[in-house]
Amino acid sequence: MAKTLEQYFDELRGTRVWRSVFRSGTGSSPLHRSLVIQQNVFFHLFATKVRRRMMSFSATWYLGTLTLGTFVILVITGILLMLYYHPSAPQAYADTKDLQFVVSSGLFLRSLHRWSAHAMVFLVFAHMFKVFYRGAYRPPREFNWVIGVVLLLMTLLLSYTGYLLPWDQLAYWAITVGSNIASAAPFVGDKIRFMLLGGNLVNANALLRFYVLHCMILPLVAMFFIAIHFWRIRKDGGLYSLQSQPKVAAAATPLTPAKEAQ
Amino acid sequence: MSDGKDFVTGVDSSAKRSPRRVVFVTRRTSAQVKAVDEAEVQTFPEVLFRGAVAVELLAIALVAVSLLFSAPLEGLADPSHTPNPAKAPWYFLGLQEMLHYFPPVVAGVLVPGLVVMALIVIPYFNINVEAEGLFSKDRERRLRVFYIVAVALSIFLFSFHVYVALVPTLIVVAFMVAAAQSSLQSPGSFRRYLAAKPLSYWIMTWFLFELVVLTAVGTFFRGPGWSWVWPWRS
Amino acid sequence: MQSSNSALSWWRKFISDPVRTFGAVSVVLLALLAIAPAKNYFSEWRHYQNGYLRLIRNRGDAVTLQRHVQPGIQQIWHPELGVTDRCTSCHVGLKEASLADVSTQPYRKHPVIPHAIDQFGCVMCHRGQGAATTVEEAHSSTLAWEQPLLPARYIQSGCGQCHQKPLDSTPVLNQGRATLARYGCVQCHTVKSPDGTIIKATQDAPALSHVADKTTREWVYAWLKDPQAYAVSTTMPNFQLKDEEARDISAFLMANSTPVVGDTAPETAHKAADPAAGGSLYGEAFCSSCHAVQNAAGNLVGGNVGPELTHIGNKVKPDWLRAWVRNPRVYDAATEMPHYRFNDQQLEVMEGFLLAKKDADLLANVHLDTATPDQIAHGKSLVTEYGCSSCHEISGIKRPENFAPELTRIGSKPVSQLVFLERMPHTLPDYIAAKIRQPRAFGSGLKMPQYTLSLAQIDSLTTALLAQNERAQTLPPALMAPNAPASHYQPAGKAGQLMTDLACFSCHAINGRGGDMAPDLTWEGSSVQRQWLEEFFKNPNTLRPALIRRMPKFNLTNDEITTLTDYIMTVYQTPAFDRDSLPATGYSPTEVEQGKQLFYSKYACQSCHIVDAKVDKGYIGPTLTAVGSRMTGAWVYHWLKDPQLLRPGTVEPNRHMGDEDAKALTAFLMMQKGSVKSQGAKK
Repeated sequence: MAKTLEQYFDELRGTRVWRSVFRSGTGSSPLHRSLVIQQNVFFHLFATKVRRRMMSFSATWYLGTLTLGTFVILVITGILLMLYYHPSAPQAYADTKDLQFVVSSGLFLRSLHRWSAHAMVFLVFAHMFKVFYRGAYRPPREFNWVIGVVLLLMTLLLSYTGYLLPWDQLAYWAITVGSNIASAAPFVGDKIRFMLLGGNLVNANALLRFYVLHCMILPLVAMFFIAIHFWRIRKDGGLYSLQSQPKVAAAATPLTPAKEAQ
Repeated sequence: MSDGKDFVTGVDSSAKRSPRRVVFVTRRTSAQVKAVDEAEVQTFPEVLFRGAVAVELLAIALVAVSLLFSAPLEGLADPSHTPNPAKAPWYFLGLQEMLHYFPPVVAGVLVPGLVVMALIVIPYFNINVEAEGLFSKDRERRLRVFYIVAVALSIFLFSFHVYVALVPTLIVVAFMVAAAQSSLQSPGSFRRYLAAKPLSYWIMTWFLFELVVLTAVGTFFRGPGWSWVWPWRS
Repeated sequence: MQSSNSALSWWRKFISDPVRTFGAVSVVLLALLAIAPAKNYFSEWRHYQNGYLRLIRNRGDAVTLQRHVQPGIQQIWHPELGVTDRCTSCHVGLKEASLADVSTQPYRKHPVIPHAIDQFGCVMCHRGQGAATTVEEAHSSTLAWEQPLLPARYIQSGCGQCHQKPLDSTPVLNQGRATLARYGCVQCHTVKSPDGTIIKATQDAPALSHVADKTTREWVYAWLKDPQAYAVSTTMPNFQLKDEEARDISAFLMANSTPVVGDTAPETAHKAADPAAGGSLYGEAFCSSCHAVQNAAGNLVGGNVGPELTHIGNKVKPDWLRAWVRNPRVYDAATEMPHYRFNDQQLEVMEGFLLAKKDADLLANVHLDTATPDQIAHGKSLVTEYGCSSCHEISGIKRPENFAPELTRIGSKPVSQLVFLERMPHTLPDYIAAKIRQPRAFGSGLKMPQYTLSLAQIDSLTTALLAQNERAQTLPPALMAPNAPASHYQPAGKAGQLMTDLACFSCHAINGRGGDMAPDLTWEGSSVQRQWLEEFFKNPNTLRPALIRRMPKFNLTNDEITTLTDYIMTVYQTPAFDRDSLPATGYSPTEVEQGKQLFYSKYACQSCHIVDAKVDKGYIGPTLTAVGSRMTGAWVYHWLKDPQLLRPGTVEPNRHMGDEDAKALTAFLMMQKGSVKSQGAKK
């Protein structure tokens, strides 16, 4: 049964239409499998081959992958939520209520979006610490670490801007408290706050501004950095790059990754 | 630096087995560069599908949680009715907890700014890149500096009554003292482990401890007027 | 062992191929995702809609009922009111009159109300969360919606959001609003109607600037300690004062009092009481129309316009009482008490009668030493602290502004801002009711005094306060039904002075000003014949035998009667018709006979009115035996045609008479001349 299923699939992959879309064609030879990666605009960010060790769970706990997963879930549910949402006060709150009471599976969508957002913040932090304790920030991956820090800030901003959108008491006061922290910056604090909120108070202007940031600007910027982040993984030598191994044993030889530690 | 040519180009000849790899060896690179043969796998399908499975498992967990627990929603935003306490999103509650102790400029701007700066510069300082145990070299001076910094930090936190930040600090300091008393030749494997940890490890661990404790305190242990409450007693 | 090993190895083999694992996990994920729409399908509202369909299936009018059912979520949407009510998704049969026998919710039919069910939606009156489609969220107080469904006993607060005028169908609300104004709540608390007018107190507490003329310090002390011990029906609340507080306040009030010139001029000797003569004078003067007295059985008999007189002998000084009854306006120019023209003998009798009304034990235990300056000063600070001058005029102390919290929006106050007592339900109506019942229970430092109110009064007050909410304040102007603006009508000239002196407005309303105890006199000049009016002033007899409150005799002089009659006949005329368009006499016998037939058979007027005192038994409407001497023909004719046009709200039904019937009935009624002539002759 499975065999015939695979045959059908191979047949499908051999059709002209399929070949016109996916240029790698049929076959499971290393070449074909390499082509899958190389010929795909998204996958070509990855190396065609990786060390077997990088697939081990303990190395990464798959935290980066999982973070990407939450991001994808958030984009999908977010787009669906946008269909039911007006960024105006107090209509935003009524829309959130309608999601709960009238829209089919609306409450599920919103819950999934919210819990995934919390999960993403948590995973980003976890990813960062995991990378640090593995020493994976070491040269030559300094810059990818920096991009990672930028992505951490992006994630926090995305979550923070999304927090306001339901326009309930929880949202309103969380954002008020948060924006008051920003205004503590010397000299420019109030200016930053004004720019963030589009006014001196959290009001309809702030809601619109946060909506645009949350649904448009920040996701695009985040995707841009995520692309660089992935691309740099390959360019910096892939996971488990030898350079990033701690050089306890070879402290005397500068930057010579001649042998693997232990 | 070792003497070498400007660069050497090497070509792996077994193109059937693996894609071509071109290696540039510049003057700044050691001439000893050589490929270590290691078992490799095709990204497709091995890695991509494993990643996809991981993401799906996460999605299953999230969907299950979303089906069981609804996202919270409170009353319509009302600027005239301040809830008590008014809390920021959970990942900022560590900051809000610090705002309780320090002036806003310190807790709201200086500390987070320094943290972000510190995170960014981590890979650019050799002291972070080297992976030697903190006290394995220049031991006397480093011990002296460590004790001064630890005592000063503790007194500072104590004088501001920041006990929630003091406790993690003291725990990390205790481990560092243990590390100072150990070496790579110590009998216990845990002591050998501690002895091998570099400075950056200790700072990051301290930061992680503080982050977790402050966030947890801000989330669960703070009630009206930012007073201390026990979450199980309500 | 063997099998588990093989299972394990199979599992290892299975997951070793990531593609296969991916397929398996994908199936699980898709299955889980399918739960969401399933959850959506088995929703509560669909369950209740199916239940409704099962309920109506076997009824006689099933086809009609089924045709009315629309599947899916229903909503009543009024964006201008902020109403999105989905209650009808489950309450399917609200509008089905034939479901009167169904008592299970959510299928009960809505009781008949003056509005269409979907005119304003549900939450306007019932509160709760209209947008919700689950039982819990719609009816209860949740994190996302604070106001739960309003208990049915407060439901009239919904009416009060738009209607500021009393309605016949909202007795509880009307009583609550009346209580709010009568018990002086609005003296300390500002309460505004949606149109911005501040609700005024309907009863002014007596001014205390001259209190020493009127009563003793001992009485003031006992009164302050427990007002209800002196008069059970008084609206003065109990401030639960300590002994020394009452001592110092009474000391201050006495020391602060200044005498009124001419108020307590020395009188002739006070005679002993003559209970029989006093009682009959008290009755003739209809004092009980306004003043109540507690009888032996403990029941209050009399009106509540003036103070209760059960123990008046304990309170007043004889000289002051004599002066007051002689002419109340000397002591208090704005009093609602009429100036009876009693002669000295009558005054003596009345004084003796009233002073005998006392309880010897009331002040028996009150012994006060002479007040020290410290006590007086302390009393003054206490008077300020308790806000006495919010209600009472006290010279030297200004009326405090915003003494107590404003209650204009109390009906939508968030529960999170309230402090509850232990073991009490955390809802707004419960809070308001508890606060009215026992204000001091909410904190020792609170100043709000203890009122003596029945449970029904507390519920009605709560209803009135719940109507004071945000929604009422922000209604679209088209929906507001404001109260008629307060009238400051004051008749001019000598007649006007006379009417003030006689306090006509205490009982009668004219041009929107005045009480509702006696008939509205705005169009009196068109309604009655001049001769009758003059006779009536000389000897006001009763028109309605069923009533105990009647017009008292004021002992007016002939000049005064002429002045009043002239003014009434000239000024108080309706623009609707000419008073003299129909004659008072001279109707043809045929017409009269035809009218009699109509009176007794077609319209059966005798069920409410009496024309022939021997036969008729109608006591609801006024007696008509002398109507021909009293009313003008034109008034009778137009009254018959449309009673409500002449007096809105009268119980007389509009029989939609034709011109001919009305004319004939008028002829019959105008022939009922009664015995007024003989009464007049007696005088």
